[in-house]
Amino acid sequence: MNTMKWLLKREYWEHKGGFFWAPAVVSGILALLSIGSMLIGVISSGNGKGVFHAGGSDFVSLKHALSSISPAEKLEFAQGLASAYPAISMPIIFTLGFVVFFYCLSSLYDERKDRSILFWKSLPVSDRDTVISKALTALIVGPLIVVAFALALSLLVLLTLMVLAAFHGLNLFGPVLGNANFYLVMAQIVSFIPIYVLWALPTVGYLMFVSSWAKTKPFLWAVGVPVVGGVILTWVNALAGSPFVLESYWKVIVGRGLGSVFPGSWLGMITETETNINPDNALSMLLANTYSLLGTANLWIGVVIGLVFLAGAVRMRRYRDEG
Amino acid sequence: MSSVLHATALSKHYGKQAAVDRVNLEIQPGRIVGLIGPNGSGKTTTLKAALGLIPFEGELKVLGFDPRTQRDDLMKEVCFIADVAVLPRWMRVRDALDFVAGTHPKFDRSKADAYLAKTKLKPTMKVKEMSKGMIVQLHLAIVMSIDAKLLVLDEPTLGLDILYRKQFYQNLLEEYFDEDKTIIVTTHQVEEIEHILSDLIFIREGKITLNTSMDEIAERFTEVMVGSEYYAAAKALGPIDERSVFGKTVFLFDGINRSTLAPLGDMKTPGIADLFVATMKGTYA
Repeated sequence: MNTMKWLLKREYWEHKGGFFWAPAVVSGILALLSIGSMLIGVISSGNGKGVFHAGGSDFVSLKHALSSISPAEKLEFAQGLASAYPAISMPIIFTLGFVVFFYCLSSLYDERKDRSILFWKSLPVSDRDTVISKALTALIVGPLIVVAFALALSLLVLLTLMVLAAFHGLNLFGPVLGNANFYLVMAQIVSFIPIYVLWALPTVGYLMFVSSWAKTKPFLWAVGVPVVGGVILTWVNALAGSPFVLESYWKVIVGRGLGSVFPGSWLGMITETETNINPDNALSMLLANTYSLLGTANLWIGVVIGLVFLAGAVRMRRYRDEG
Repeated sequence: MSSVLHATALSKHYGKQAAVDRVNLEIQPGRIVGLIGPNGSGKTTTLKAALGLIPFEGELKVLGFDPRTQRDDLMKEVCFIADVAVLPRWMRVRDALDFVAGTHPKFDRSKADAYLAKTKLKPTMKVKEMSKGMIVQLHLAIVMSIDAKLLVLDEPTLGLDILYRKQFYQNLLEEYFDEDKTIIVTTHQVEEIEHILSDLIFIREGKITLNTSMDEIAERFTEVMVGSEYYAAAKALGPIDERSVFGKTVFLFDGINRSTLAPLGDMKTPGIADLFVATMKGTYA
């Protein structure tokens, strides 16, 4: 019995809309916009007025780009492309935060609301495995799908760009595909996932716990309780001469507690180690900074809190009486 | 063979209210037990305790397992339909079968397919597109294809029309039940399951008021239609219930020898429904 495989499949079946279609639609829109604008650029450049959208950064006239490009410039341009082409897919990665947030909130609530929990619990699947499968879906399956879409879109846009450039006499295939960065960035993007798993764990655990506990409106409970708590503390501070440090409350409880499912939300929490950032090293710097989280108490305390919440969710699902 | 369900002083409180009040119960294998009681009498709570869905007080063993601590083992041997139409609405017939096949070691896919072939359900159909009756057909197809030792059915046919209800119990009896299996069923449609039960348990306000086999019922309970001339004589024998029918009085006796009753009028074995109404009088008063 490969129960976990089927539990993960089950989650995917039920939440295909969030985990597959949401990034698919965002990718589609991005592809349409970027490839569309490149085509428009190419077509309108025929009358000398258009611009050529290159690498997401500069706007140069196509004629100019073609006539005045030197081998050195071409190499530099190719290098920029080879390192920065995934930038186009940032919005897809960003959708992950929303998808995971709302998935976690509904993960243990919906089955109680529609009473299908009575069906799931009639099968020999433990509450622990069920909760684990849902956490894995949020922390690993979701990010993997999103990263796959992000890379696919980035490659598609890059390919289109290079093909269009080639049609206009600028062959970038050699310098881009020959650039080690072209391959490295893909590996680097995938390498963010392990840190995401650890970083998002407290939020995923908290949201799933609320989802297993709330009788109604899990969203209001999950977001309302910390926010109302903050308002009460603000009020107490105003009356009693500021015994609480509100800034850290909002940052830790609300920001870190609720916001950690958003990829990159950790970036505000780490001190940059190097200041000399350019497009070529941006991603590796980002990754290095991200991995420096492994040495922080912030990350590991979050992991422990997340696991405690998940254990609480297992207990809730095990003994909660639905009446 | 050891008992399927063994409860000693089983209690469940909601606040101060006892939903199940120190119940002692023993159910043997190979039986079809009807657990009958009015709304709020504690039947569902008892079954939920047995299925490890809620915490409870007292001692309870189901197939030798404690539902509180050994639920994961217990669920390999027990199956249940706790409510009609609880299959997840997004699920397709095919997905449901795949999932159960992938997670239940005692599920026989070919049985389920064969059963579904006799219905109008298609593999790609989603639960939300089905009628209540069709959902129950799918659920029953799944449950019947699981070789469980104990099947618990809590109001499995509530809200279904008579065709689905008849078919449900017929399938259960003909294609599922055998002497190694035990079925516990609760329903308000008492008459419809009367002929399939082997045992009967009445529960009222958290307490068991009757626990007997169907054979014993015929020996123990007698209904006599008495003319007015014997009214006083019948009344003297201590009937547990009386009602008037066409100017005569129908008395219900518990434990009175039939030879004693024969002179008073026509005798018959009461139906479960009559027995139920007689013993539950005053429940909502």
